[in-house]
Amino acid sequence: MDFNLSDMQRMLLDSAERLVGDRYSLEHRRALRDRQDGFDAGAWASFAELGWLALAVPEEKGGLGGSFDDVAVLMTAVGGRLVVDPLVSNAVIAPAILSDAPDAGLLAEIAAGERRVALAHDEPGERYGRGPRLTRLSRRGNGFALTGQKMLVLDAGSADTLIVTASIEGEDGTVLVRVDKNAANVTAEAYPLIDGTVAADIRFGAVDVTADAILVQAEHGQVVLEKSFDHGKIALMAQAVGSMEATLSICAAYLKERHQFGQAIGKFQALQHIMADMFVAAHQARSALYQSLSVAGGDGRARARAVSLAAITIGETSQFVSRNAIQLHGGYGVTDEYEVSHHYRRLLTLEKTYGDIDFHIRRIASLDAG
Amino acid sequence: MDLKPGGELDDFRQMVRAAVAQDLPPDMRARQRAFGGLQSENRDALKWAAILNERGWSVPHWPVEHGGQDWTPLQKFVFEDELASAWAPDVNWGATHMVGPVIYTFGTEEQKARFLPDIRAGRYYWAQGFSEPGNGSDLANLRTAAVLQGDRYIVNGQKIWTSGAHDADWGFFLVRTDPAVKAQRGISFLLIDLKSPGITIRQIPEINGEADLCEVFLDNVEVPAENLVGEPGMGWTYAKFLLDHERTTSSFIYWNKRELRRVRAIAEAETLDGLPLARLPQFQSRLARLEAEVAALEWSVLRVLAAEEFAYDLTAVASTLKVSGSRLQQAITELQVDLYGALAMRQFPIELAHQTPTPLWPENIAGRTATALGSRAATIFGGTLQIQRGIIAKLAFGL
Ligand SMILES: Cc1cc2nc3c(=O)[nH]c(=O)nc-3n(C[C@H](O)[C@H](O)[C@H](O)COP(=O)(O)OP(=O)(O)OC[C@H]3O[C@@H](n4cnc5c(N)ncnc54)[C@H](O)[C@@H]3O)c2cc1C
Repeated sequence: MDFNLSDMQRMLLDSAERLVGDRYSLEHRRALRDRQDGFDAGAWASFAELGWLALAVPEEKGGLGGSFDDVAVLMTAVGGRLVVDPLVSNAVIAPAILSDAPDAGLLAEIAAGERRVALAHDEPGERYGRGPRLTRLSRRGNGFALTGQKMLVLDAGSADTLIVTASIEGEDGTVLVRVDKNAANVTAEAYPLIDGTVAADIRFGAVDVTADAILVQAEHGQVVLEKSFDHGKIALMAQAVGSMEATLSICAAYLKERHQFGQAIGKFQALQHIMADMFVAAHQARSALYQSLSVAGGDGRARARAVSLAAITIGETSQFVSRNAIQLHGGYGVTDEYEVSHHYRRLLTLEKTYGDIDFHIRRIASLDAG
Repeated sequence: MDLKPGGELDDFRQMVRAAVAQDLPPDMRARQRAFGGLQSENRDALKWAAILNERGWSVPHWPVEHGGQDWTPLQKFVFEDELASAWAPDVNWGATHMVGPVIYTFGTEEQKARFLPDIRAGRYYWAQGFSEPGNGSDLANLRTAAVLQGDRYIVNGQKIWTSGAHDADWGFFLVRTDPAVKAQRGISFLLIDLKSPGITIRQIPEINGEADLCEVFLDNVEVPAENLVGEPGMGWTYAKFLLDHERTTSSFIYWNKRELRRVRAIAEAETLDGLPLARLPQFQSRLARLEAEVAALEWSVLRVLAAEEFAYDLTAVASTLKVSGSRLQQAITELQVDLYGALAMRQFPIELAHQTPTPLWPENIAGRTATALGSRAATIFGGTLQIQRGIIAKLAFGL
């Protein structure tokens, strides 16, 4: 066990901080948000060039074969600057699904920055459902027809390819199938989320799907999905830790700079104690992240339990930190023109993605029940 | 002590309920229901005041001689409660609860005749110009200066957080008229026509997509000297009067009760594996705790309204209402967000907040997350949580 960064991780962190530090100013992010797809093609090319998109891809698929710890290092750096580009969908979820799949080069294309995917899973009326899908593949000719309705497809705005979860005629379980977002009878209604990313509700009206578009067969679907969501959640939690730690720095600077009653507001003990509690919370959050990383590579119950524990801690501490950050800023905190409100909104969406606190509490209870 | 509610209050409640059902335009109700207290509907506030004024009900809390109603404090409580429950628009608080009482208490006869009828009729929107960029909690250090030249003041300076200024016709401002004396004593209370030359207003984009908060820049604005209320240099006293005047409103009790009912409705409508969330212990626990807090807060408010003789300073007691009420606003809207789970992440354009997006989405989801984000301000405006705690420590315990 070594809590210090390796040389390679140090380099990764430095280069990440340099890139996002220069590029992701508040003004840049606010301008980006006003674009339809919320996507920065120039930044994406840099991510590909720096190998970020290939980091979690195994060497035999043309990737860098990095560890999950490496991924977490990168994610804390981008989280600190509120980089909301679709990194988790493409650099974490995609490798989790495709590393062992006959993907006809899809993962390599993603790693090269040539293609972007979004996972279309959630369906109307459910809360983080992971069971059988209503969206279904029925046999038609040599292939299939895909029919169903997906909701809240994250990062759909910038994706050209969808990975869709579905049940399949004549088999139990869930398949993952690849569909071109622009294919006939795919209808997407896109909308922004409060963190500036773009999601979509997507309808599949008997879309033609060939047999070789099935990436993961029904018998493996459930296991692959659980792993993908857990990996996705860990990556988001790393971003949350980065965001919380950045929030601490922003607040510490503000308390020194803002004066009321003839003194820096940081001189008020009431605010010192809030700041100290925020520090305690952020410290716990990073430890919770490490706890989950220690089993990230494993399978099944142990990983699920560790991820859910971390999700509770990081969900709660991130709300505590970012709400107090707003409070410390007074009126400025509730504007769109100060960083802290952006951290708050981003942290709220991170908490609500791939299972919110309530979901993870229920998951622990059900794991414990056997 | 006799804590049984009197039966006559029920009759009053029914009377108000029937009147509101008859008077409240459905489109206004729909907007209020969606926004639930976001402040974008400033114009509805005026239209609703005009409607209430037909019954003489637009300012029932004012003295009768200025157009108020001869109701008991509990009747006034029931009145506000019924209006909020029926999703009536918020009133233009600055007008009916702030500048109005200052004018009828400290204003000249001319000022009363000129401004009070218009406030009752909802003719103009009033904004509150107190806070400045460098002076929020420390309001007494405000800098905006008004210099008397002949029969007019020349005003220069900047205000910020002036809610609704972009929609407003008039503003009541705290300005410094005497730079020579100690901070509080050089401040005056000035009424300024916001269409005056030299005024520039910028809307500030907010955390929830709204832009109701404004910056107001005053550049050599000429204001007739007759617009100064009461005595020069007494502005601070009037401002304190105005903030103390309505001790219970900062509890947002009517709002909290109504939004708690909305929490229940959402918990019944949203499901997990076919079961309403209201049946899950996880949510039942949060719901019951909030309901317990709201119930206690309601009685805290009633105690003040019914003039209980407190062992502690009344301002400190009022601060307890503000502390409890503001935190409840946040906790209640947080639970609304959590009940919607991942769906709460969607950003609805503020102008579409009263429409259901598509049949895939819950009917009343639009506006919920925006309200929760906006309610972060509840522990900031009108004296921050930290300032309220300071007041309690000082006035209740002499610390
Ligand atoms: C939604 C909204 C609407 C508003 N509407 C209006 C309006 O219509 N008109 C108007 O004039 N103003 C309005 N305000 C302004 C509001 O009154 C101020 O924001 C508030 O007084 C705090 O001032 P500030 O924002 O400058 O924060 P600051 O005073 O700079 O406070 C920053 C932090 O320091 C803390 N702090 C300050 N002093 C102390 C102390 N002595 N001890 C401990 N902690 C301290 C605060 O609690 C806060 O956490 C509004 C504000 C909001 C958010």
